[in-house]
Amino acid sequence: MTGLRRRTLLRSAALGAAAATAGCAYIPSDQQVHATLKRSAKAKVDGDLVYFNWADYLDPSVLKGFEKEYGVKIIQSNFDSMEGMYAKLQAGNQYDIVFPIAKWVVKLRQEGRLRAIDHAQLSNADQVFYSGSYFNDPWYDRGSRASVPFTVYKTGIAWRTDRVSAMTGSWRDLWNTEATKHIFTLDDQDEALAMGALLLGYNVNTAKPKELDAITKLLISQKKYLRAYSSDDVNDMARGDAWIHHMWSGDFMYLRTDIAKYQKLYDFEAPKEGVPINSDAYCIPADAPHPGTAMLFIDWLLRPENAIKNIDYLCYPFPVKDAVAHFEELAKDVPACNVDVTDLENPNVFRLLSTDAVHRRTAAWTDIKAS
Amino acid sequence: MAGVERRPRLASVVTVLFFAWLYAPIVAVVVFSFNSIRSLSTFGGVSTRWYASFFHDDSLIRSLLASIAIATVSAVGALVLGTMLALGLERISSRTGRAVGAVTLLPLVTPEIVTGVAALLFFHGLGLKLSLLTVTLAEITFSIAYVTVIVRGRLAAMSPEVEEAARDLGCTPWQAVRLVTLPTLVPALVGAGLLVFALVFDDFVLAFFTTGVDPQPLPVRIYSSIRFGVSPAINAVGTVVLAFSALLIVLALVAPRLLRRGGAGGLDLITGGERS
Amino acid sequence: MDSPHLTATLEREARPVRRPVRRTRLWDLLLALPAAWIVVFFVSSMVIVVLLSFGRTQQDGQPVFGHRLTNYDALWDEVYLRLFLRSLTYAVATTLVCALIAYPVAYVIALYGGRFKNLLVAAIVVPFFASYLIRMYAWSAMLGDDGVVNSVIRKAHLGGGVSFLNTPYAVVGGLVYGYVVYMILPVYAALERMDRSLVEAGKDLYHSPLRTFWSVTLPATRAGLFGGMLLVFLPALGDFVSAQLLGGPDTYMIGNLIQQQFLEGQNWPLGSAMTVAMMIGLTVLMVGYLRATTTRRREA
Repeated sequence: MTGLRRRTLLRSAALGAAAATAGCAYIPSDQQVHATLKRSAKAKVDGDLVYFNWADYLDPSVLKGFEKEYGVKIIQSNFDSMEGMYAKLQAGNQYDIVFPIAKWVVKLRQEGRLRAIDHAQLSNADQVFYSGSYFNDPWYDRGSRASVPFTVYKTGIAWRTDRVSAMTGSWRDLWNTEATKHIFTLDDQDEALAMGALLLGYNVNTAKPKELDAITKLLISQKKYLRAYSSDDVNDMARGDAWIHHMWSGDFMYLRTDIAKYQKLYDFEAPKEGVPINSDAYCIPADAPHPGTAMLFIDWLLRPENAIKNIDYLCYPFPVKDAVAHFEELAKDVPACNVDVTDLENPNVFRLLSTDAVHRRTAAWTDIKAS
Repeated sequence: MAGVERRPRLASVVTVLFFAWLYAPIVAVVVFSFNSIRSLSTFGGVSTRWYASFFHDDSLIRSLLASIAIATVSAVGALVLGTMLALGLERISSRTGRAVGAVTLLPLVTPEIVTGVAALLFFHGLGLKLSLLTVTLAEITFSIAYVTVIVRGRLAAMSPEVEEAARDLGCTPWQAVRLVTLPTLVPALVGAGLLVFALVFDDFVLAFFTTGVDPQPLPVRIYSSIRFGVSPAINAVGTVVLAFSALLIVLALVAPRLLRRGGAGGLDLITGGERS
Repeated sequence: MDSPHLTATLEREARPVRRPVRRTRLWDLLLALPAAWIVVFFVSSMVIVVLLSFGRTQQDGQPVFGHRLTNYDALWDEVYLRLFLRSLTYAVATTLVCALIAYPVAYVIALYGGRFKNLLVAAIVVPFFASYLIRMYAWSAMLGDDGVVNSVIRKAHLGGGVSFLNTPYAVVGGLVYGYVVYMILPVYAALERMDRSLVEAGKDLYHSPLRTFWSVTLPATRAGLFGGMLLVFLPALGDFVSAQLLGGPDTYMIGNLIQQQFLEGQNWPLGSAMTVAMMIGLTVLMVGYLRATTTRRREA
């Protein structure tokens, strides 16, 4: 045994028997990652598509259509949170296409986990990257070099028109005494803290201890009006438990269009203090086994007829040029649900934060929920 | 059996209410599986679209198969290890033996979330990719103690003299176990195996922490869709699985009875003993 | 499930010494593999949890070992104590309700089930196959403010309806529903094993079914009941699904707290510290409980 190996062994032994078996995963190493963007693949079939998305987040018939058109299979996996998605990528699981929320595009690109997407390879690229489109240079991905926009949505407040008579158009409506014990706040760290931050005039990404304290205090004051924290907004409304619900615009459209017996019973507002705007994107991981098929798949999803099918299925707006009118038609009675360009050029987007900032925010959120 | 006396009335009422309560949501699951709209809380009309959706959803089917596979492998693995442990603990008399016994029961007195967190950290530390394998390893670890407890119960009721007699007749220790002890344990083993299968199949917490992505065990797969609304197809899955498991269990109960033509009766699922 | 033995081992009672079995290496060999398995997969993973609880998260998000008490310092907060007590209350309530349901059910099936006994036991296990989460969604659909149950209440003019969901009662109800089986099975097993002639003798002695029950049946099955209570209490204490799906703003449990550190929080070291703290709290409680019960028995 060489001296070096013996030393390593001794050090492991010092960390305990378990650590020794556990290898080096937990040994500190503050090394920097050097990110490069792997070159784009050509859009051609190079195998079955390994697909990694939220569950039920695309119309199954669009997926079937792709399988038929190109004679490939789509192997589906789902994640339940962005952290979960990231952990799986980090663990070395290989996928051809992933659907991260904007701020995670930043993280994945920073760490060199993404492949470039050459717009020239996509026959429908002009559907999202036309002249003047916000997505030619979105905040989360300079020049959209590694991502293609998928959906856009905002967070606002939904309410039952038969139960609540007066709404003020402010986030304060989540304190509406008319609906005491029938108000829901999203069970989502970013969304809940952002709601408090907007009311207090802070940045939605704030991690300043003083501001977080103020938000914590504010949200705790809301608890006596709350029925629950829940992200199951559609069912909470449909069951009749919620009269006022902190809600994602896409979910609201879905509730109103597909579930509600009387559409007029439900309405949605985008509070005047500002609303968080979010977008999801298509990305191809750097180690994707079949990036060519993934390129074809993205192109397929950009076809207006497929975007329209997905809009009907998800009720989320897609920034696909020739499908925009379809969503506007769907949302004509609740224009607050629509997301347009002016909404996109908005400071209220969830940014990638440092580990310390995330921990401080989690601590605040934990305090709110635990108290 | 002393069945002549009157049944305790209160206890009977509780039992009837209990079964009603146990099965109320099952009725709802079955009804909602035939819902015509995409909702878990509003019934729109009758259709079989969610069955079609389930049968065409490869990922849902793979999740179901994964859960069955995990439960089967875990049941077998836990049976082998748990039985070895039970035999060893029951027959060993040393102080070390008893200390080992206490350690092996630790998983039984540890909240599942702790086991789940620990397993996650362990696999991550080993650099092992989370997958069905890691779920299965964790589930086996968690289930060994259940098997051990059931099998030890049966062993304790058995007199060691039989084994001794076999050895006097010239058997090696292993032959004595194989030819004498194990056959007696069969009913207990079947009971323990079925129990572990059921527990693992429905286990969520441990699977949540140790699963990889493709495919996810069924309960985790359902949980992951909460964020975007759970598809009513899960009700179709639940109904199909229920129908199958009910059928299998009835068969398991009835078959031995038919084979023995009204003989000594079927297996006792829980006490693991043969009924007389 | 043989809970007398579970209990016996847990209480570390001296087991009756049997005639020593002929010495052979076989028993050691049989013990070696499962014991090694548990040491590798369980004991060592626990050691990692303890080690990581003194660690930190690097800037790149990787959790690493360390030797700091920061994570524990964060737990010295009244909020966490209240949270632990709340979880404890729910778990104890769940255990008691389960006992009140499980005993009569197991009793009726074991003593009066006749030839339907096995079928009835199977009928208790079958719902397990329709996943717990699926059944919880079904409950939510029925118990919602505009759900079936409330529409019955309204139609029967019993009032304007009840908000069942998002209350502590709903959380405990969900826990009871999920874990009651863990209690029924051991109690049933204990009743099955019980020597029936004892009950007959008790009847002759006490002339009252109730007194017979108190003095004979219950003590004879106490071990089964105790084992079942443990099997319900432990998972209920760490559960996070019930509080998440059925709870309100004030029903956050320790399981939710730990889960949050591993998901949104991305703070494994803090989550580990919470896990360790929970285990310490639990151990103190269990040792205290066992001590109290054993002294009482010795006095009796």
